[in-house]
Amino acid sequence: MKPKGIKSFLNEAGEISAFTGKFFKEAFLPPYEVNELLRQSFEIGYRSLPLVTLTAFIMGLVITIQSQPSMEAFGAESWLPSVVSVSLVREIVPVISALICAGKIGSGIGAELGSMNVTEQIDAMEVSGTNPFKYLVVTRVVSATLMLPMLILFADTISLYGAFIGVNMKQVISFHLFTNQVFEKLNFTDLLPSITKSFFFGFAIAIIGCYKGYTTRNGTEGVGKAANSAVVISTFAVFIIDLLAAQLAGIFHYL
Amino acid sequence: MITTATNTNDPVIVIRNMKKSFGDHKVLDGFNLTVNKGENVVVLGKSGSGKSVLIKCLMRLLEADAGEMKIFGISIPGLSNKALDELRSKIGFLFQGSALYDSMTVKENLEFPLRRHLNKLSKEDVGKLVGAALENVGLPDIENKMPSELSGGMKKRVGIARMLIIKPEVLLYDEPTTGLDPITGREINHLMLDVQKKFNTSSIIISHDMNCVRRTANRIVVLIEGKCYAEGTYNELKNSNDTSIKQFFD
Ligand SMILES: Nc1ncnc2c1ncn2[C@@H]1O[C@H](COP(=O)(O)OP(=O)(O)O)[C@@H](O)[C@H]1O
Ligand SMILES: [Mg+2]
Repeated sequence: MKPKGIKSFLNEAGEISAFTGKFFKEAFLPPYEVNELLRQSFEIGYRSLPLVTLTAFIMGLVITIQSQPSMEAFGAESWLPSVVSVSLVREIVPVISALICAGKIGSGIGAELGSMNVTEQIDAMEVSGTNPFKYLVVTRVVSATLMLPMLILFADTISLYGAFIGVNMKQVISFHLFTNQVFEKLNFTDLLPSITKSFFFGFAIAIIGCYKGYTTRNGTEGVGKAANSAVVISTFAVFIIDLLAAQLAGIFHYL
Repeated sequence: MITTATNTNDPVIVIRNMKKSFGDHKVLDGFNLTVNKGENVVVLGKSGSGKSVLIKCLMRLLEADAGEMKIFGISIPGLSNKALDELRSKIGFLFQGSALYDSMTVKENLEFPLRRHLNKLSKEDVGKLVGAALENVGLPDIENKMPSELSGGMKKRVGIARMLIIKPEVLLYDEPTTGLDPITGREINHLMLDVQKKFNTSSIIISHDMNCVRRTANRIVVLIEGKCYAEGTYNELKNSNDTSIKQFFD
């Protein structure tokens, strides 16, 4: 990386931090935009649901089919449901869903706020006595932070169905036996870190999308760039958070 | 509480020595402007000369670097958020591209500025105000349309209706006719004059469309290189021998 690249990276990181600071300042002060918060939660949750569900199902199915031969080679076929479900719930489903949301929600927020910005709609809100930061940014960030864990919890369930079907392709196993085998190994300590990190995924995706939209310059061309870099940066953020979460979960595991 | 200037001779807007730079790019460099009660003042300037920056500084959408700005005798720099909000509720701002909220219907667009009064207004009152505002701009029966379904001229009218719904005393128009065909532009000019007569408003109109300037201006201020270069009525400036002024009239 050239020095100029490093400088602009650090600049950007600093500005996103300042933007996040402003979020915490504005989020707790009244007035609260409750109606808009509910509307955004519906939009963010409902619009990402089909894609997240479908991907989770396919992931559950595919990971099971792919793991089956090696488990068979070790003679550990009966371990298949528990091994697969642990990796799905702990890692694969949260991260894949977050990446999909980074693409869908991140770019959506970046483009929407970006075009509102360049067409002066944000200024128009400001002069008509509504704080646009509260109305647009706080609502979206809070909704995404709350909706991502719900989406991911739902996706976890769907992916286990996928895994169940995957297991049944090579052997016959009842749903009852499958769930027994799954929950023998999968427990609350697997779910807790995965849900905890998904709050952070939601927060990061929305705050980066909002930041990019809110600081869009240079007309319509800038809107495309804002949406694009919202996706790039939030995808990157998802992996960083995942890495940190894995380290922290590891530490707590040994405590 | 903001008390409106009662003395009709008091200017409604006073701008003295306003300065604003972006980096080392000086946009406004000691600009002066006064608007009297009931007057339409046109700020004439080339594109990129800082006209939008001027009225955005006036509304505190941008912070001016220096200078004195007063509306109704209230100094704008350093105003608290609450006082600023109260002042803004007496000022209508028509943005260059109309700035309608494109995720909302026309009705929701018009209701938006009323949010700050919602505790005082019943649902019925709001409905009536919206209907009346659309009537004022000659567009009844479009309440449930989305902005994307409207033509450029209709968007401008809805923008004007949205600005008028809070019954402002001062209006700021940012290039109200730019991008419209001449006939629609003329209709918007008429509408602006109607509004001035009907509500006795004082306005700053930003423009470089000479048809608009000729029809709507009581007085013209020419903005060149960040300063008030010349001032006068349309005819005074039209007969000027100064080449910088002449270029607008060719
Ligand atoms: N937020 C901003 N940041 C940097 N430069 C700006 C900003 N807003 C306006 N400018 C610059 O100020 C100058 C005047 O802009 P503007 O007031 O929009 O022109 P116009 O007279 O066409 O309305 C332009 O050169 C523009 O590039
Ligand atoms: Mg402009």
